[in-house]
Amino acid sequence: MNSRSRNMWAYFMVAPTLIGTLVFWSWPAFYSIYLGFLKSENFGLVNHWVGFDNYQKLFKDEEFWQNLKNTLKYMVLFVPSTIVLSTFFAVLLNAKIKGQSAYRVIFFLPQVTMPAAAAMVWVVLFAQDYGLLNHVLGTRVSWLSDPRFAMYSVVLVGVWAAIGFNMLLILAGLQGIPKTLYEAAEIDGAVRFNKFRYITLPLLTPTLFFTTVVLMIGASQIFDSIYLLIGKTNVALPSVRSLVYAYYQNSFVYYDQNYGAVIVNILLFINLILTGLQFLFQKKWVVYD
Amino acid sequence: MNGSETLSNKKTNIVIHAVLIATSVVMIVPFIWMLLTSVKTPMEATQIPVKIFPDVLRWGSYTEAFVQSSFKYYYFNTAFSALMKTVFPIIFSSMAAFAFARIRFPGRGICFFVIISVMMVPNPVFYTPQYLMMSKLGLVNTVTALWIAALISPFATFLLRQFFLGISKELEEAAILDGCNPFQIYWHIMLPLVKSALVAVVIIQMLWAWNELQWPLIINSSPEKLTLSAGLATLVSKFATNYPVLMAGAFMAVIPMILLFFVFQKRFIEGVAFSAHKG
Amino acid sequence: MWHKSKKSTFLLVAILAFTMIMTACSGNEKNNGNQAGESASNEQSSQPAGEQPAKEVTLSYTIWDMIQQPAMEAIAKEFTEQHPNIKVKVEVIPWGDYWTKMSAAAPAGTLPDVFWMHGGQFIKYATGGFLEPITDKVQAGIIDLNNYASNLGSIYTLDGQNYGVPKDFDTIGLAYNKELFDQAGVPYPDDTWDYNKLAEVAKKLSHPDKGIYGFAAKLDTQVGYWNDMLANGGYILNEDMSKSGYDDPASIEALKFRYQMVLDKASPTHQQLTDTDSTEMFKSGKLAMIFEGSWRNVDIDSSEIIHGKWNWAPLPKGKVKRGNIINGLGNTMSAAGKNKQEAGLFLEFLGSKRAAEITAEMGAAIPAFKDTQAAWVKSKPDLNLQVFIDQASDAVPYPSGSKSYPVWFAKESEIMSQAWGGAISIEEGAKKVAEMMNQAIAETK
Repeated sequence: MNSRSRNMWAYFMVAPTLIGTLVFWSWPAFYSIYLGFLKSENFGLVNHWVGFDNYQKLFKDEEFWQNLKNTLKYMVLFVPSTIVLSTFFAVLLNAKIKGQSAYRVIFFLPQVTMPAAAAMVWVVLFAQDYGLLNHVLGTRVSWLSDPRFAMYSVVLVGVWAAIGFNMLLILAGLQGIPKTLYEAAEIDGAVRFNKFRYITLPLLTPTLFFTTVVLMIGASQIFDSIYLLIGKTNVALPSVRSLVYAYYQNSFVYYDQNYGAVIVNILLFINLILTGLQFLFQKKWVVYD
Repeated sequence: MNGSETLSNKKTNIVIHAVLIATSVVMIVPFIWMLLTSVKTPMEATQIPVKIFPDVLRWGSYTEAFVQSSFKYYYFNTAFSALMKTVFPIIFSSMAAFAFARIRFPGRGICFFVIISVMMVPNPVFYTPQYLMMSKLGLVNTVTALWIAALISPFATFLLRQFFLGISKELEEAAILDGCNPFQIYWHIMLPLVKSALVAVVIIQMLWAWNELQWPLIINSSPEKLTLSAGLATLVSKFATNYPVLMAGAFMAVIPMILLFFVFQKRFIEGVAFSAHKG
Repeated sequence: MWHKSKKSTFLLVAILAFTMIMTACSGNEKNNGNQAGESASNEQSSQPAGEQPAKEVTLSYTIWDMIQQPAMEAIAKEFTEQHPNIKVKVEVIPWGDYWTKMSAAAPAGTLPDVFWMHGGQFIKYATGGFLEPITDKVQAGIIDLNNYASNLGSIYTLDGQNYGVPKDFDTIGLAYNKELFDQAGVPYPDDTWDYNKLAEVAKKLSHPDKGIYGFAAKLDTQVGYWNDMLANGGYILNEDMSKSGYDDPASIEALKFRYQMVLDKASPTHQQLTDTDSTEMFKSGKLAMIFEGSWRNVDIDSSEIIHGKWNWAPLPKGKVKRGNIINGLGNTMSAAGKNKQEAGLFLEFLGSKRAAEITAEMGAAIPAFKDTQAAWVKSKPDLNLQVFIDQASDAVPYPSGSKSYPVWFAKESEIMSQAWGGAISIEEGAKKVAEMMNQAIAETK
């Protein structure tokens, strides 16, 4: 087979994905940046170029800074707790214990549950007067509508849903660590914790790093659970509203597509920074064998 | 190994099981509560103090949720778009991934970069432009709009390429000598070798497609054009705080995926673990 | 391994295929309908009405009130009996999502053939050119806007063009639970009541320890504090719709009065009312009084718990007058519809006396058509529905009719929820809303 026909085959096989990506993903990404410089009227049928006006308005908007803070707060609370708990349970399950597969199935269950449905049941569990949570704890906290607690409740639901999946990823990483290393350590008389600290953790860094990055990117786009957990007239909304929620509200409820575009463009910027940091730190922190 | 060590091992095992069982309860309680609430009366659901079991099992909320909110359309639209969003990305992505991994062709680097670069862009960035695009094409409020932009998957392309890269050259060289063209090599030789990876991608795509909320919420409005998740959001607007109906709706929405998960649990769990190796 | 996974993949495909077969019929049916619709409209544009062969057409009719769905379907059925070739499909999009969905559908050209219109949203859709004018029909006398009560015919008119046929109107009443009044030995509310009396009785009937409250002093506009503000001499928007009335001292006083009932524990808190909708609470017998719109009548009465144990009274009098909001809904048709001829026929029927009678008899809403209201009042003989008709005469129209309404209305509840939730003071909240409204008015000029 000559190289020309081989190349033709390659283009043919790449074409659907490449064209699809260009049309449905690359072009919209650039168009979103363009939208940020426009001001639309009449449902977006009339547009004027306004330069950086939307960005100026955004940076002066207290609500935007609060939303940015909320998003970062969610990431800071959600990602480490998910990582720590997932690692904890992965280590527990990695020991040869009875019922391992049953636990895995149970822990994974929230992951196959539609976030919309999960959020709806958590609303009932969190209810102030007749919620199961207050009943069990003997408290009368309004978990979702007290600005002091709402963010933690949203994080709790997020962690609940995420543990199973991430635990499996980490478990896969754990099972990739050669058993011989532990055996050697046992001969040296290492205690359980030291084994974890000096063998498991370093060898797990590639998995943990990958998991952290994926979780951070996901957490920066939090929308579903806030949309369904925190109602439109909930007093706690300003203290949990994320950037994507604000994007949805501005673009599709307040009819200002351009302001909405500006908000997600900032999110894009944050994600690019995250990806940049990923490349930077990958070399420094991650121990590859 | 001496006696005292096995004893302490036993103790540790008990503690481990206690922790795992307690967490399992936390994981399952929402499902049980969903089911229990769905068979209560609205009064029982909001009773103070909390009433755990209803006096009689009342299934009326299921009929109410089903009839009042076009569930049969939600099921179809969700299943159909999940199918489209799984089958096509698998075919297109594996083809592209094979070409990127196994064929050296001019422009390979730039093409691959174009595809994976969109993975860095958060999904909401695409929504407004995609919405405007659908609007131009006359596809707003159609079932087609639910899946048309998701026929390709940069993520799956990236993941599968990693797997194709790991396959040894010998098989391929033998096939080339036999006169196979690249597509035949891909179809007959390579694809069966990455079967586990394909299963992993199917599962991840399907879960994601089944659960997606924001895009259907934006693009479609008629009850007949909604998916389960967007339909549930409508149910909340419709039934306010009639919790039995809401929980019945939620339960009906999650049960197909949960059943699939129980039937194929090993595949699900292996699939996720598998994707971790090369991700 | 090989065999097992092959089997499971097959199973998966089989399940999905089965789902598709199960639902395929309905999908096909719809396609046929659309195709037929397209060809019908093509022919109509070239041929005068009446001469063409009757083509099968299915119109979409979108509404936001699930409770009125049976009545709307009954009207559609009767219309189809008269025009056997035109089927009407009634679709419900709940109020909370309705305008979000419509604003997505409008520029995409996918608005339903016929749909409910609200005075607040009308200008936006009419100026955008998304509504089909019905001026011809009005001028030809096919639709007579003088047929409708209380000036409702003029709501859906812009720059001399008519766009909507009045459907119904609604006012607000005070619903009360007779049982809770009897238990406390308090006489039922009547037209002598003022706001002080309301607060006093609400306090008396409240037993927070038992989860029972006298009144729902909730955050709400049309069925909430707008009535209070008007009664107290305040206003929502000034006459020419150029300035918000939220920061008017009388408005603020009214808002504070309402919020005081929450502080006095005469009403559930904002948090509690977020967890349980106030009307649901009333329906389960845990609230002695609520303000509710006439449109909720059938819904409330459907509750087995309070059926036969509740009634309506007029709203209490304020310092200045009895406040009440009257709002007229209309039916409009899309300018981008494929079957405008048929949609026009349906619109005519929706505006007819017969459609009003069906609406009234089924108790769905107070019809706009003159002299059909009595039938509505009689739809539930044991309830004092007359209060809604009586209050209509001096009620204030819903503060709609400006381009800025959709913008400020969407943001209003979010700001007020801060005040109602106790994060900011009522005065601060009211002033913030006023500022936001004035800005929205300035920006949409």
